[in-house]
Amino acid sequence: MDTTDGPLVPPQHRRVVLGFKDAEDLDAPDLPTESLPLNMGPSHPAMHGTVRMVLEVEGEKISSADIQIGYLHRCFEKESEAATWTQVFPYTDRLNYISPMLNNVGYALAVEKLMGIADDIPERALFIRVIVGEVSRITDHLTCLGAGAMELGAFTVFLYALKAREWLFELLEEVCGARLTSTYLRIGGVHFDLPPEFGPKLLDILARTRVVMSDIGKLLERNRIFRDRMDGIGIITKEDALAYGITGPVGRSTGLPYDVRKDHPYLVYDRFDFDVPVGSVGDNFDRYAVRVEEVNQSMRILEQALATIPAGPFMINNPRVALPPKSETYNSIEAMIAHFKIIMDGIHVPPGEVYSYTEAGNGELGFYIVSDGSGRPWKCRVRPPCLPAVAVLTKVLPGLFIADVVPTFGMMNMIGGECDR
Amino acid sequence: MTTTGTPPTTPSTPPSELVTVTIDGKTQQFPKGTVLLEACNQMGAGVPFFCYHPGLTSPAVCRQCLVDVKGQPKPVPSCYTPVADKMEVMTKSPRALDVRRQMLEFTLVNHPIDCPICDKAGECLLQKHYFDWDAKLARNDGIKVKKAKVVDIGPRIVLDEERCILCTRCIRVCDEVAKTHQLEMADRGDREVLTTAPGHKLDNPYSLNTVDVCPVGALTSKDFRFAMRAWELFTTPSICPGCATGCNVEVHHSRGKIQRLIPRQNDQVNEHWMCDEGRLTYKRVHAERLAAPLSAGAPVDWDKALDDAGRVLRAALDAGAAGVGVVMNAQSTNEDLYALTRLTFDHLGLGKAYLAGLDQGWSDDILVSADKNPNTAGAMAIGAGRLRTLLDLANDLKSGALHTLLVVGTHGVIGKDGAAGALPLDRLTTLVVIGTHRDEVTAAAKVALPLAEWAESDGTFTNRLGMVQRVRAAVPPAGDSLPGWEILSHLARKLGATMELTDAKAVFAEAKQKLPFMKDAEWGRPLLPVQLRFAGSRG
Repeated sequence: MDTTDGPLVPPQHRRVVLGFKDAEDLDAPDLPTESLPLNMGPSHPAMHGTVRMVLEVEGEKISSADIQIGYLHRCFEKESEAATWTQVFPYTDRLNYISPMLNNVGYALAVEKLMGIADDIPERALFIRVIVGEVSRITDHLTCLGAGAMELGAFTVFLYALKAREWLFELLEEVCGARLTSTYLRIGGVHFDLPPEFGPKLLDILARTRVVMSDIGKLLERNRIFRDRMDGIGIITKEDALAYGITGPVGRSTGLPYDVRKDHPYLVYDRFDFDVPVGSVGDNFDRYAVRVEEVNQSMRILEQALATIPAGPFMINNPRVALPPKSETYNSIEAMIAHFKIIMDGIHVPPGEVYSYTEAGNGELGFYIVSDGSGRPWKCRVRPPCLPAVAVLTKVLPGLFIADVVPTFGMMNMIGGECDR
Repeated sequence: MTTTGTPPTTPSTPPSELVTVTIDGKTQQFPKGTVLLEACNQMGAGVPFFCYHPGLTSPAVCRQCLVDVKGQPKPVPSCYTPVADKMEVMTKSPRALDVRRQMLEFTLVNHPIDCPICDKAGECLLQKHYFDWDAKLARNDGIKVKKAKVVDIGPRIVLDEERCILCTRCIRVCDEVAKTHQLEMADRGDREVLTTAPGHKLDNPYSLNTVDVCPVGALTSKDFRFAMRAWELFTTPSICPGCATGCNVEVHHSRGKIQRLIPRQNDQVNEHWMCDEGRLTYKRVHAERLAAPLSAGAPVDWDKALDDAGRVLRAALDAGAAGVGVVMNAQSTNEDLYALTRLTFDHLGLGKAYLAGLDQGWSDDILVSADKNPNTAGAMAIGAGRLRTLLDLANDLKSGALHTLLVVGTHGVIGKDGAAGALPLDRLTTLVVIGTHRDEVTAAAKVALPLAEWAESDGTFTNRLGMVQRVRAAVPPAGDSLPGWEILSHLARKLGATMELTDAKAVFAEAKQKLPFMKDAEWGRPLLPVQLRFAGSRG
């Protein structure tokens, strides 16, 4: 290499990027560096649910980040247009697939709002929806916390978190028959009543989960490796959060106290006493801490809901919405026809459009639905809460180290099924 | 003339004879004589009915269309009541809703729990009206009256007496459309059944219309019975290829297979009806098709087949164009015929062209035409006097005036009596066939190219009234077959003729410019097949 005519590499690319205090400490102070494109994903263990990041790195430091989503696009919205209103429920399970009940809730409320039957839903169904929803929120946060810690090497935390998640999934399995593909809600109520002994079982699980949460806290919060990648890393300002439309734990970590359950109460959330935790810095640790606290708040809601859940029907009393009892279906032509019409033609939703939003695991999950009066949605658009949080990464990642990408991305909790739909 | 518009359902009367009617608070003028039921439903009231049919007379037996009319002591059957001036009608008064609900409950008392096995499920009026207007669970748990479930009432139809709701539509279809009284009601009350006279069958040539008008699954077509769930079918509007009448039909199909044809309303052609024979014309689309090009009897790909066809035809033309003839077919669409006449007369300058088609058959003065080809009128108009008959073809073959023949469409080229000797194709040195089926003509061909059937290609037919009606592709072409105009376009290129046809619509537009009889024809807007389950919603 001929260096007599001056450096080959332009001076601005000769910055020293490793963690040394002083360039003079290096053995080869004039070692030239150049900008390098680095692909992370789509097949990368830390790229939850396949996302591709094209990073421009200078040494270990990121100069720009291009986040490419869509690898898990399943045409949810278009598929919904060919399904009856009830057949959309299984599709919603696969949106945020670690808290499927919350997606069920969001979709059911949207359709009920459009049909104008929101006030006719039996109270017990509303409580059941809150209960399964909050259980799902805990599973959602446990997954995010556990996986986030694992990606920093804390495998024990992952196992602890998943152990608690498994208790809850097994409980949900008792409710609806599936850990993940729940399809538990129906327009007008829920498919089954809660199983016997559900309350005591849930309370027992919550007590054990509290222990797990305390263990996780002890393992992580004074752990240098963890704190180094959490404190002050990936800071999102309040202004950015507003500009990008970030909601949920990520939005609250920046100090915005927006929680749909508090600000626009739905179901019976206004009857429960719970707090909305907010962060102050908007860094990874705030997002961690907000999620930990939300798990505690969800447990509070669950305890109150279990104490006050009324007895009664769990499905709306409307023969054009609710399926007749099976004994009637098999033994009378009237119920047979009603069953046939609801299953084959679908529930008829009056023409119109609606935007309905609920607080899902990652924030405001919105359904914008248009009906043409037939048995299937004319349009079913989802506002995925983790999409803005992924979008902001383009702004947050530059300036961080490659090693920061994994925890920062992890704490955004992008779920491919929900983001890509 | 085209058939895209839906004709009015009420007879047109001079505007002076309008009467003013108030229906559910909305006032509107209707021509005098309009049936109140039609008036209500034009206003969007959606009054239910079983026995009424717009193409038939009204006996008012089902009592499902009862509405309240101000000044009348009892609810009136709207299908039987003409509108009158200053009439005030309440279709949704509590009393009207209640009597209609009671009628439904009454109708359902003895109805069997058959929906899961009933062919009509999904397009059943009883299901629709119960769900729209009642939707209450049964109050009656008595034992239902048992009747015969499988009555072989005719060669094409099976009757289920339990499902029958005694609306008498089928009786009136036979009386008023087929003009033969073959069905009758017997017995009374809950033992009343539909039946034929002893020793007689429901066998008139329009009998399958009774299946269409049956509001429930009492009368089912033997052809369609248990073939397919109705709501899973997709529908494509088209034209029946069975005769020169050109009845408007809906092709019901699923997964590339046609399941049935049902009539589509067109008051200028077939009103609401079609004949039984026409309904079975779809069978030929899926029977014994020529699926791949054949060269010397062996299946080859299109490139090779077109090369071979071009080569033998070119050699024949060089040997003497006067001995080369073309056989067109009255089963082909106007577009295929137009492409073929252009190739024959304009590009190749041939003098000998013949028109083939299925043999004449029976006819009546209701719908069935003796000419069993859907497009004879179009072929004659496009041929403009240059087409000769099959008899001329036979004579030319026998006299040795022809050494080469290009046949496009083989239907009826060899007559029904199979008189192959009458058409001595073996006298030819070269026979190139573009055909739909594996038959004697394609078997004798040097090169045979697979042609799409009527339900597989877009185009138009000209019926006996000169109406140019649109045929739509409902199912994908069998095997490798292609529409006629496309094959001819490829073949023309091989023969050195510049006839670049890009799509059926472009051929239609070109033909429309050149041919006076297609001057007013319309192609219509593109349609995607609509699944019957959602047919009411969009499409």
